Amino acid sequence: MSAVATAATPATPAIPERTPLTSSPVPVPADRRVVIENVSKFYGEVLGINNVNLSIPPGITGLVGPNGSGKTTLMNLLVGLIRPTRGSLRVLGIPTDNPEALFRLVGYSTQYDAFPPGLNGYQFIYSFLRIHGFAHAEADTMTWEAIARVNLTEAAGRKVAGYSKGMRQRIKLAQAISHRPSVLILDEPLNGLDPMARAEVIALFRELSEAGLHVIVSSHILHEVDLISDQVVLINGGYIVAEGEIGGVRDEMEEEHPVQVLIRCDRPSLLASKVFESDHVVEARIQDDGGLLVRTRSADRFYMLLNQVILETGLAVETVMPTDADVNAVYQYLIGEKS
Amino acid sequence: MAVYGRNYRRYAGELTPPWSRFLILPRYAYETVFQSKLFLIFFAVCFLVPFAGLLMIYLHHNLSALSFLNIPPEELKKFLPIGKSFFFRGTWLQGGLAFILVFLVGPALVAPDLRNNGLALYLSRPFSRTEYVLGKMSVLLILLSAITWVPGMLLFLFQSILEPSWLGKNLDLGLAILVGNGAWILFLSLMALAVSALVKWKPVARIALGVLFFVSIGFANALNEILSTWWGYLFSAWYVIGSIWASLFGIPVSADELPPPGAAWAALIGGSLLCLWLLSRRIRAYEVVR
Amino acid sequence: MVNLATKTALEAPAPAAEASVPVVELQGLEVKLGGRPILQGLNATLTGRCIGLLGPNGAGKTTLLHTLLGFYPISGGSARVLGKDVKTETRAIRSFMGYMPENDAFIQGMSGVRFVRQMAELAGLPKAQAIERAHEVLFYVGLGEARYRPVDGYSLGMRQAAKLAQALAHGPRLVFLDEPTNGLDPVARERMLRLIRDITEAGNVRVILSSHLLRDVEECCDEVLVLKAGKVAVTCNLEAERRANRNFLELELRNEQGGSADPGFNQALEALGAEIASGARQRLKVVLPDGVKVRDLYRIAVERKVQIRRLDYKRDSLEDIFLKAMEG
Repeated sequence: MSAVATAATPATPAIPERTPLTSSPVPVPADRRVVIENVSKFYGEVLGINNVNLSIPPGITGLVGPNGSGKTTLMNLLVGLIRPTRGSLRVLGIPTDNPEALFRLVGYSTQYDAFPPGLNGYQFIYSFLRIHGFAHAEADTMTWEAIARVNLTEAAGRKVAGYSKGMRQRIKLAQAISHRPSVLILDEPLNGLDPMARAEVIALFRELSEAGLHVIVSSHILHEVDLISDQVVLINGGYIVAEGEIGGVRDEMEEEHPVQVLIRCDRPSLLASKVFESDHVVEARIQDDGGLLVRTRSADRFYMLLNQVILETGLAVETVMPTDADVNAVYQYLIGEKS
Repeated sequence: MAVYGRNYRRYAGELTPPWSRFLILPRYAYETVFQSKLFLIFFAVCFLVPFAGLLMIYLHHNLSALSFLNIPPEELKKFLPIGKSFFFRGTWLQGGLAFILVFLVGPALVAPDLRNNGLALYLSRPFSRTEYVLGKMSVLLILLSAITWVPGMLLFLFQSILEPSWLGKNLDLGLAILVGNGAWILFLSLMALAVSALVKWKPVARIALGVLFFVSIGFANALNEILSTWWGYLFSAWYVIGSIWASLFGIPVSADELPPPGAAWAALIGGSLLCLWLLSRRIRAYEVVR
Repeated sequence: MVNLATKTALEAPAPAAEASVPVVELQGLEVKLGGRPILQGLNATLTGRCIGLLGPNGAGKTTLLHTLLGFYPISGGSARVLGKDVKTETRAIRSFMGYMPENDAFIQGMSGVRFVRQMAELAGLPKAQAIERAHEVLFYVGLGEARYRPVDGYSLGMRQAAKLAQALAHGPRLVFLDEPTNGLDPVARERMLRLIRDITEAGNVRVILSSHLLRDVEECCDEVLVLKAGKVAVTCNLEAERRANRNFLELELRNEQGGSADPGFNQALEALGAEIASGARQRLKVVLPDGVKVRDLYRIAVERKVQIRRLDYKRDSLEDIFLKAMEG
């Protein structure tokens, strides 16, 4: 599960493997990570986030949590728009109180739908690049590149105020990637996008992450987070509740929340009795619709056992499904109604 | 023991008659409007003048109550005449109060619905735009009626009861009260609704209404000065209605104080139609985006 | 289990005839807005309990909903909702419909209860019934004490719930839901989807659900209409599709310790004649040829010491249908 990636100097980055954030020896050096150290942020008395420690490697990171849990605070801190009350943040080695250097590295897209009035799509991105210091010709090329990547070339001449919600979302994304940053911080980037645009943007994220970028995405659509993220960060009430590669996170929770597996087969009672003989299975329940729900403290051992049982008994299995091994289930367990 | 579940279920009971549904709007509006103490006090104050009028009519016919003043009755009768002046002044006073009432209640009627996409909710029910406008207008019309022509007519009837012969000579006065006040409150309601529909923010609508009313008076006068004409008066609702009332009540008026009644009526009707047109353009279930 | 006591008064019976009337019938429907044709000759007959309405931005989904509500005039063709003609019987249609708009929609300055009450009365309910049903439906959507607070101050999730409440309060036969899970956090999303499934199954109400989230539509709907550039791209009965997918399997594999599975597993499968497509994160799509059973998969799994963590029929049929419709 933890393959050690070759550490590389920033000048010649090797594409790192997806690695968990847990305590294994650091395969990705600190200056290739986004590091949040002992950070707290209070707005007067009101809690933003409290005592957060994170070290995010490259790849797609899903940031998940209820409204008001601190996601936007965290993102604003990373981009340097606000300063932490305590602690420090470093993006690829650059501290966030160094805006000049930071803004070169970081691309940001907010969840809010606000634009300078009167600009069209092209001007929106071009002016942004010029402010960053790019000369006219370069800015022009980069603008069209970014616009092409989000498929808005035809609409670039129209005013942003006249765009549909999905188009506005995409032009924001284009602006975030236009200056070729190394770290993308995107607040609900898929909001309002139709299914095709979603698939396209997700493909874009994959492309960027494979090129070695950090893509940090916050979203409420958990099955999408599941699909695209290499690692997830769950946040609730200002605290980090869990972080890491989702399988790893789920496995860590096994003791407290035994893994649930739902099996449909032709003889559920037989299967139930067979698996119940093992010590790691804590519950075997036959549901009204005939499915067998098994709870076990060790997923690995259970599935190997299942293979044997099926072969020995000749059961005809229809479906086997873990019912709580995805981000959705982890969210329900750790955050659930407590939000 | 039985455990009761609560699920969604369809409705198959009675329905209210469709024509009466526009009255739901005033009913709900009054629940809010009368919660404001300011408005309650104002509304009570609106009845002071009619009440004073009631007293005057009573005293007119019961001069003995004033005998302590030691003035001969004929003099008193001349001092308190109940005639066209009396009702004209009453209409004029209540007309001003009517504007204030509209100023207080009007702007909040349509603007919030437009801003918060409420029209989509109204119109997705068996409820037409006409009913919506009718309902919102009724909010104003009912209140305005209560302070304008209803007390006016009551006073008229009271006088008629106390002096039946007077009625025969002053039937047109009764008509003047009805038509004069009716025209004013209809126009005011339309104007308030149109302004509230044009401007999406309640406070801005209120300012706009105030500006329209007061600034137009100054504007009218200025225009008349510059162009040496009476056409400017047509831009101010107050001058327009003043002219109409004067003509209805038979009060003589000099040509440079007020516009001629024919023009005034034209302006009033024209203005009302303009408001209706504006309303029909703005009251929609959806935003038309070009 | 729970004994549900049914209230017999005011409970609407479901006449047998109702089940056979199509929910929506479109014949050559054309709608122009501001001179531009938006809907161009739509033909469809939809009969599902919960109908999904899909399509890219600008395809005309909201326009279609608004047309069926009578907000836009029809410039060509015809449309019927539960048997009633949209052009001539708009008022009758509106009296049995509920609409939950996509954008924020509320009446300012009212508490949740008053808001829902007024909306119910405007749909024709008498005062006494209106307040009863308002409370019932507010409980149903999960607005507890908050119902006495002004709607202006509600959070996004609460406003969505209030929107749904006003759509249901008058007990409509058909409900339009436009992006009902927009902006909701995961817990609120689940609750909303559960509500939608509830009213579809138990409540005797037909639902038309318009959404960009294929997952939501897959979970709730049994029939789908896909629009593209103002025309019907495809209509599809999801139930039938799901039943037809029995030979398509999705697997998720791990090795004995929980890491990546031995690629020999895939090779062994192919040797049996199965077609395989590998996806991200150890996910495998398999088409089994006739004669190869699931047991054979397990035999290979034991041989290769592979965990089959997931074994299921293909469940993203809607995604395929949608993508194919967009290409066509």
